[in-house]
Amino acid sequence: MLLFLQTTINGLVLGGIYSLAAVGFSLIFGVIGIVNLTHGIFVIAGAYMAMALFAAAGVDPLLAIPLIGAVLFAVGYAYQRTIIDWAISRASVEASLVVTFGMAMVFRNLLQLWFGPDVQTITPSYSFDSVAIGPIRVDMVRLAALGASMALLTGLTLMLARTHFGRAMRAVAQQPLAASLSGLNVRRIHGLTFGVSAALAGASGAIIGIVQPFSASSEVAWTLNAFIVVVLGGIGSPAGALAGGLVLGLINAYTATYVSPALTQAMMFLVLVLMLLLRPQGILGAAYGESR
Amino acid sequence: MTAASSSSAPETEAATEAATGAPLLEVRGLAYDYGRVTAVQDCGFEAAAGGVVALIGGNGAGKTTTVQCVAGALRPRAGTIRFDGRDITGLPAHEAVELGLALVPEGRQVFQQLTVHENLLVAGRVQRARADLSANLDKVYTLFPRLKERRAQNAGSLSGGEQQMLAIGRGLMTGPRLLILDEPSLGLSPILVTTIFRLIGALNAEGITILIVEQNLHQTLTMADHAYVLEKGRVVRSGGGRELLDDPAVKAAYLGVA
Ligand SMILES: Nc1ncnc2c1ncn2[C@@H]1O[C@H](COP(=O)(O)OP(=O)(O)OP(=O)(O)O)[C@@H](O)[C@H]1O
Ligand SMILES: [Mg+2]
Repeated sequence: MLLFLQTTINGLVLGGIYSLAAVGFSLIFGVIGIVNLTHGIFVIAGAYMAMALFAAAGVDPLLAIPLIGAVLFAVGYAYQRTIIDWAISRASVEASLVVTFGMAMVFRNLLQLWFGPDVQTITPSYSFDSVAIGPIRVDMVRLAALGASMALLTGLTLMLARTHFGRAMRAVAQQPLAASLSGLNVRRIHGLTFGVSAALAGASGAIIGIVQPFSASSEVAWTLNAFIVVVLGGIGSPAGALAGGLVLGLINAYTATYVSPALTQAMMFLVLVLMLLLRPQGILGAAYGESR
Repeated sequence: MTAASSSSAPETEAATEAATGAPLLEVRGLAYDYGRVTAVQDCGFEAAAGGVVALIGGNGAGKTTTVQCVAGALRPRAGTIRFDGRDITGLPAHEAVELGLALVPEGRQVFQQLTVHENLLVAGRVQRARADLSANLDKVYTLFPRLKERRAQNAGSLSGGEQQMLAIGRGLMTGPRLLILDEPSLGLSPILVTTIFRLIGALNAEGITILIVEQNLHQTLTMADHAYVLEKGRVVRSGGGRELLDDPAVKAAYLGVA
């Protein structure tokens, strides 16, 4: 029983991080309709930035999130307004798949050159603290990670629901033509969506850095995770990402504890395939209707 | 603003204004291709300030393509579009809106997963109308009490007629001087068609210039000061609305018998 509770909590913490790491991927797919294979790069870039800031100035990774988010927002915006937009307007939406795949390889190699191929971890002062909840012990970092993830997901949900920018993003996702006729600059909003997505990915990277080891090559796994989360939860909404992320986290934790740590990947894919067959719209369905 | 049910007959008043005003919209030699398919070619027409102008023609004549070029949703291959004396050819849609040119697109295209109120808010935030946001909301809700009742509902759950009202309301939120309506009566019940036409008349009486694309020949030509008949992307005939209504060639061309 204790083991079960402990495993469940680990799964939920992991799930919270998966959700945050995937939500930007989901947003880009929902609003712009492209599968951004560079997504994992933003996650890992966030982790490296957090590592560098911690090493150079002792900045706590969680406190570095606003700065990391701001930088990656700008990078994401510029990336969409140049390379991605050129690919979409000159070739096709499908071309963005090839372009983002290629860019992911380029960036991965650049990160490897810059930071080396070794696996890294960030260990802030509270790394070895833990909190007792009844008979269960939870690492302080995991608790902080879950809290930060939930706070950012909540912030995104509120922004989408309550602000003009949020409404504009949803309007562009649903009816780009009508959105432009309503005075929205669709390309600019695509760029801003990319910026928000990259910022959130970077934030998740900073959080991942204090919980798990990472390296440049783990970007592939984070893109893949985002893909699975979106299929599980449904496209385009923070709630969908949360549902998908938590399910994925729990599957991962239960498999590692009760089956074998070696089989977590296989189990994730098994669930992915089953989900595609049984409920292709995801647990919560697509946020923006049947347009995509 | 009077309610949609107002039964005033604004045609005569608008017609006199139209006769004296300079053209608010002037389109010359417009051409547009979808890949290798030419949809519009050498198309020209104008709309006098304060008037009601109709574009009619059979399916595939190029009406939607033409108005989408005018609104900036499509970039024409050739031709010029002047709005209020200014060349706006190729100006993107979100900038054209800021000049007071609003297109209510074919098929309504409401934001299905946004509430009725959010649909209106999105459009009401254009710079030219932002200061009047709450006044415009009141206006639209007075015009369409039905929308007010359903303001918290998702637009996708509205009936076809209600979605058309919302699409028009969304256009009005941008404070247009020229309102372009692409088949506003499509798929509506006869009684609702009459309501929509009355409403368009009322908006025109308020001073909004109307450019209407319609299949509903009788009501459109009765209302229009001037109409243009499109065929294969060209204007093949034009004249006063009532004049064209009595033209047997128009009916033949329109029905595709020609
Ligand atoms: N996206 C598109 N791709 C290719 N061809 C198109 C496209 N849209 C329209 N066309 C073609 O361009 C021509 C003009 O179409 P358009 O929609 O402007 O006509 P319309 O007069 O609005 O017709 P309707 O009354 O049926 O709405 C048609 O021959 C149509 O097949
Ligand atoms: Mg049409």
